[in-house]
Amino acid sequence: MDVLLPCLYTFIATAGFCIIFNIRGKMVFYAALGGTIGWLAFIGSSFLGTDLIQYFIATVIIALYSEIMARIHKVPITVYLIAALIPLVPGSGIYYTMEHALTGDIDAFLETFIHTIAIAGSLAFGILLVSSLFRLTHHINIDRNQ
Amino acid sequence: MNFDQLLNVSMRLGTMLLENGAEIYRVEESIRRMVLAYGAKEVDVYAIPNTIIVTLMTQDNCNLTKTKRIHDRTTDLDKVERLNHLCRQICQNTPDLTTVDKQLNEISQRPVYGFYSHLIAYAVTSSMFTLFFGGNFSDAFWCFWIGPLLKITAHHLTKLRTNPFFTTILCSFFCGLLSTLVCHFQLASHVDKMIIGLVMNLVPGVAITNSVRDIIAGDFIAGQTKMTEALLTATSIAVGTGIALSISTYF
Repeated sequence: MDVLLPCLYTFIATAGFCIIFNIRGKMVFYAALGGTIGWLAFIGSSFLGTDLIQYFIATVIIALYSEIMARIHKVPITVYLIAALIPLVPGSGIYYTMEHALTGDIDAFLETFIHTIAIAGSLAFGILLVSSLFRLTHHINIDRNQ
Repeated sequence: MNFDQLLNVSMRLGTMLLENGAEIYRVEESIRRMVLAYGAKEVDVYAIPNTIIVTLMTQDNCNLTKTKRIHDRTTDLDKVERLNHLCRQICQNTPDLTTVDKQLNEISQRPVYGFYSHLIAYAVTSSMFTLFFGGNFSDAFWCFWIGPLLKITAHHLTKLRTNPFFTTILCSFFCGLLSTLVCHFQLASHVDKMIIGLVMNLVPGVAITNSVRDIIAGDFIAGQTKMTEALLTATSIAVGTGIALSISTYF
């Protein structure tokens, strides 16, 4: 249950974000599924040690899923990527950084601050890696057609 | 071939893409392909998040330029998807430009989720994220009612044309204040989980994703603009909740 319930929560929350971003039809389901898959990847990679690697792997899995689904449904990849990545954005990091700054605990503040930036960096590099690889295959296809 | 009309229609397509939250390379590429499909000799497109410049060379070597300033950008991925689909069709079949203009009208009038759907979405996402980050059911119950207030605040502030960062500060201030009030009266138990669940509605996920995708495509100016936006939004959230928490110590 400890794994299943958060999956349900991410699924519903991502579906809610689809309404905010005005995603319609069957894409709502697939985008929400992307959010859940990302969370499962996060949990599944917990044996790797630090959570930064977990964030990175979860982002890579989400980006791969979005690229594949975008090609199957012939829609822009952002439709899936933006909604599915939302549960990984470090909202708690922002809050705890602020809380430590308020209490004046400078060591904890700096630690949480750098950790939050690092999580955002992990997300960025996850997207960067997958998108760059897919752009590569795109150009190979074009070369073959010519 | 009426190149003036071509420039206007292709610029309209690009503007609609950019206003609804497409990446920069998609805007540039869509305009470029469309103009070339209709037989222009040469075309150059330059887009940044608030401007598009298109220059094309007609078949008798005349140069035409149009610049468009974009003021409001939202995230409406349904329209981006439709426009992308339309652009593919145009490049394959090159229909009459008046028909394209009509199709653009149809897309701009496509339905969006209404205000009440948004309220429900905010309620559901904030309560679900509260549960996700480890809050209990009473926290989630109160977030279910505070979430829509966030949307109402943001909606009215946007009407007054305040800048997005001030809106974020005020929204996260209300989140923090209401959550601490609810916990002060012992109706819920985790202030931190409630506030995190609520501010997940404001976090700059779109800005981070889009800025990285712009940087990969080589649009560094757009990437930096959006990265700055993400940092400022995150800071605004921290400032807003921080003010609320400081005030709450005086209750």
